[in-house]
Amino acid sequence: MPTFVYMTRCDGCGHCVDICPSDIMHIDPTYRRAYNIEPNMCWECYSCVKACPQHAIDVRGYADFAPLGHSVRVDRDERKGTIAWRIIFRDGTEKNFLSPITTKPWGTAIPKLKEVPAPSKEMRDGQLLYNEPKWIRMDEGGLRTLKDAGLKLKKGVYY
Amino acid sequence: MFTQNAFATAAPSLPEGFLRWYLVVMILAVVLGTLADIIHKASAKYFFASWGGGKARRKRELGGGDLAGIAVQTALVDVATSAEFCNPRRRVAHLLTMYGFILYVVATACLVFAYGNTPAPALWPALWWIGAIMVLIGCYWFWFFIRVDVAAEGSTPLRFVKADLFVVSMMVSVTLGVIWAWAGGGAGWLFWLYLLATAVLFLGVPWSKFAHMFFKPAAAFEKRVARANGSNEKLPLQTRDDPEQQKRHSMELLRDAPMDMGLGIKREAPRHY
Amino acid sequence: MGYKTIVEDGIDILVVGAGLGGTGAAWEARFWGQDKKIVIAEKANIDRSGAVAQGLYAINCYMGTRWGENNPEDHVRYARIDLMGLVREDLLFDMARHVDSTVHQFEEWGLPIMKNPKTGRYLREGRWQIMIHGESYKPIVAEAAKKSADQVFNRICVTHLLMDEAKPNRVAGAVGFNVRTGNYHVFKSKTVICGAGGASNIFKPRSTGEGAGRTWYAPWSSASAYGLMINAGAKMTQMENRIVLARFKDGYGPVGAYFLHLKTYTQNALGEEYESKWFPALQKMVGKEYLDPEASHLTHRPIPTCLRNHCIISEVAAGRGPIHMVTMPAFQDPHLEEVGWENFLGMTVGQAVLWAATDVDPKNENPELTTSEPYVMGSHATCSGAWCSGPEDVSPPEYFWGYNRMTTVEGLFGAGDAVGGTPHAFSSGSFTEGRLAAKAACKYIEDGKGEGIVVSDAQVERRKQEIFKPLEHYRIYRNAVVAGTVNPHYINPQQGLDRLQKLMDEYCAGYTVGYMTNEKLLNICLKKLRIMEEDLESLAAKDLHELLRAWELKHRHRAAECVTHHTLFRKETRWPGYYYRGDVMRVDDENWHVLTVSRRDPQTGEYTMEKAPCYHLVSDEEVAPGQSAAQKASA
Repeated sequence: MPTFVYMTRCDGCGHCVDICPSDIMHIDPTYRRAYNIEPNMCWECYSCVKACPQHAIDVRGYADFAPLGHSVRVDRDERKGTIAWRIIFRDGTEKNFLSPITTKPWGTAIPKLKEVPAPSKEMRDGQLLYNEPKWIRMDEGGLRTLKDAGLKLKKGVYY
Repeated sequence: MFTQNAFATAAPSLPEGFLRWYLVVMILAVVLGTLADIIHKASAKYFFASWGGGKARRKRELGGGDLAGIAVQTALVDVATSAEFCNPRRRVAHLLTMYGFILYVVATACLVFAYGNTPAPALWPALWWIGAIMVLIGCYWFWFFIRVDVAAEGSTPLRFVKADLFVVSMMVSVTLGVIWAWAGGGAGWLFWLYLLATAVLFLGVPWSKFAHMFFKPAAAFEKRVARANGSNEKLPLQTRDDPEQQKRHSMELLRDAPMDMGLGIKREAPRHY
Repeated sequence: MGYKTIVEDGIDILVVGAGLGGTGAAWEARFWGQDKKIVIAEKANIDRSGAVAQGLYAINCYMGTRWGENNPEDHVRYARIDLMGLVREDLLFDMARHVDSTVHQFEEWGLPIMKNPKTGRYLREGRWQIMIHGESYKPIVAEAAKKSADQVFNRICVTHLLMDEAKPNRVAGAVGFNVRTGNYHVFKSKTVICGAGGASNIFKPRSTGEGAGRTWYAPWSSASAYGLMINAGAKMTQMENRIVLARFKDGYGPVGAYFLHLKTYTQNALGEEYESKWFPALQKMVGKEYLDPEASHLTHRPIPTCLRNHCIISEVAAGRGPIHMVTMPAFQDPHLEEVGWENFLGMTVGQAVLWAATDVDPKNENPELTTSEPYVMGSHATCSGAWCSGPEDVSPPEYFWGYNRMTTVEGLFGAGDAVGGTPHAFSSGSFTEGRLAAKAACKYIEDGKGEGIVVSDAQVERRKQEIFKPLEHYRIYRNAVVAGTVNPHYINPQQGLDRLQKLMDEYCAGYTVGYMTNEKLLNICLKKLRIMEEDLESLAAKDLHELLRAWELKHRHRAAECVTHHTLFRKETRWPGYYYRGDVMRVDDENWHVLTVSRRDPQTGEYTMEKAPCYHLVSDEEVAPGQSAAQKASA
């Protein structure tokens, strides 16, 4: 099945149950450990694989079309801000990848919009969104209008 | 009460050596039950077949000395401190239950075998009580609040499934034992209920999670071996700490970023509903 | 059934569905409503919910106006061409002129955007696309939404919108159930911004076992945006405009970076270029205005996605498949090889898994492509969704009724796949639409439009009975049989889904019939959907997870019905390669250069279909019909 849980590694912490976007990681009533209850609703999104602190979850490609013997494992390290992948082909070929997942410490660079200066009436009545127009072109220009573009909307067959 | 050997109060009403035989049968039940479970499920065969992450991917072979060292580490860290649990609450609850149970069982064995007919020094009953209370705190805490199907899946704490057999039988057994001892001991109906519940706990080994107390250390040992022999269970080995990896084209965006970015999703407990 | 009722009252802005559209709405709403109560109701866990769960490797909608790379109107023309002329150009212009500020904000929040080492600008994959390391794209934007919202309710399956009983056609909030606890949740709100998912899994997929999970668009996109809004009586548009994708076979891995950055190309099984041989016949079918290979070659005007699909479909049907992508030359370059693999790992890991399983190394062989089963959604190369008002300064009168991105139901706004007429929005555009909807929703409230809402206890109670009915039905009728899933009194959600997928596939132009349908087939489809709707009253759910699947099926069914009505209404083949009307195998600009709009009457269930005019951006000076704005400008 798409994701599966190693019996010897799962300690029933529930991170996978909590994160699965498809609601298919649940707790087995005999072992109180996690398992995938509906593989045909599994997107192989790896959310549970990445969330598991014990690396107890792995993926076996869909049996419809993926032969056995492969391995695609991941280590998502929030503190380091990286994700590492290790792909092992059925014939043994191995590929490794490492890339960033964030450039800033988590949550620190997002302001609380409750605390920023409130928008003026002019801004409210106009078409600008938060941080605009400055953050559109990072300059002092305004929001583009049809007038700026020299265009109008006309009904009919035009290409 | 806390310094009295409650088992001695029951002994006079029981046949000679009854309690000793009972304990022996319970211990045998655990051993035989675990063996039966292993043989029935062929789990030992699987364990050795997938030993150390499999034959492939090993970067180095480990000698006897290496393995011994790893075994010691497993015992001292994974087993003794329940290090496998990342969640502090789970870890504490497990330590309470584990050490509590050990104290409780050892104290029971002492009181029954060594002090069956003679007065026991205050230490052993005290340890029996301390162990029992530790078990009760750990178990009830786990049962009502920590169990993953309750905490993460939203089930009611009152639901009972096969996985709960071990914990529930332990809770019932030790609770009954504590009530029995507190009520003065003896060999009345409360005593027999206690023995019955304890029998369920120990005889239920083939069907409950009891045997995991043997399987888990074996798994922890095997995991350390896989890390040590380089197979790392096919998990990635590359990290940002490696200067070579930092030079990767894909990593240039992190060149000036701090090495500790804090926690994002992992900040919170897995209980979002 | 022992489940509590939990009421959340006094909400100003309720965001239903916290994907890229919903998170954008929640984020921005706080700025315009610093004192407003903003609540999110999300079916899964906001940190990984929606189509961006596994991440993205590119942001496909970025103008680059700060470097003079594009203008918003250029994007409008691009989208118009790709969708064979039929889009909401006002909404598109609006989205395109704002989207850059969204992307710049993402970078500020920590989203790793690749840079071009020579120019220092964002690294472009193509004219509209930039490359990112977006594995944590969703957690990052979720963080922003969480900072803005007063409360985030995770694991709430919203099943219905609440309607105001004081004023007709006005929304009053939403109801649903908690997938974990089973509790009934009632959200009473002045406005609702619907950011729920589009429709995957309404047509039979190519892989039907475990592989049914490997959909191109997330399997948890259960058409809830459409189900909720259609049931509330909102007008929908372009629901016939389903999308079929040419992607790597079985894994459905993305090809954008391959074509654009790695400069790969396709060939048939004999190693030949195959598209051009189909163009003459295709040009007869659609007209020179839509397919002009010489002009495309000269001006780099892209050939519409659906037409390229048509070539693949035709070539394979002619016996010269499989089509494969020529990757071997590009993959010899280690940097491009890394991009090729990371492209999957950051966006569609399943494709990497498949290639590892089948020993496919694009360095040594050219992997297969295929055309997928159809999907219905609104932010990709397709634009199904709700019929929404546009911005005041751009929209013509037929497209404007007071508040940007508001549907025809008062107080009900849309964002992302929920909004019709705005293709090529992708992630950044959807987030931007959420922002636009949030601002408009705040204005709606400030204008006093959300006052005097009345929701009776009877409506709340009626919905509760409806929601939990499948559980009750199972409990009772389970007693009829010994064991197993076969029961004469009910169907379970998987059985219902199998039936829906089969009937849509066979009658509404799924892949097994070569994406072909006609009036007769579509009428049979409607009949079968009607019968199925009766059977959906006998849906049975054995636990809360199945109850979730049951309501996802109900939303899917409603969307499928709407899709079928639209497909029947539009009497032409506007998008060959997405689907064909066998009885009208051509583009008919004279009668059908319009947007289709439908409304389902919530009381009677009847659909009313209408044509809405299609407006195009033309130069300010007079342009003759049939002439392109570009032609006029250059004349």
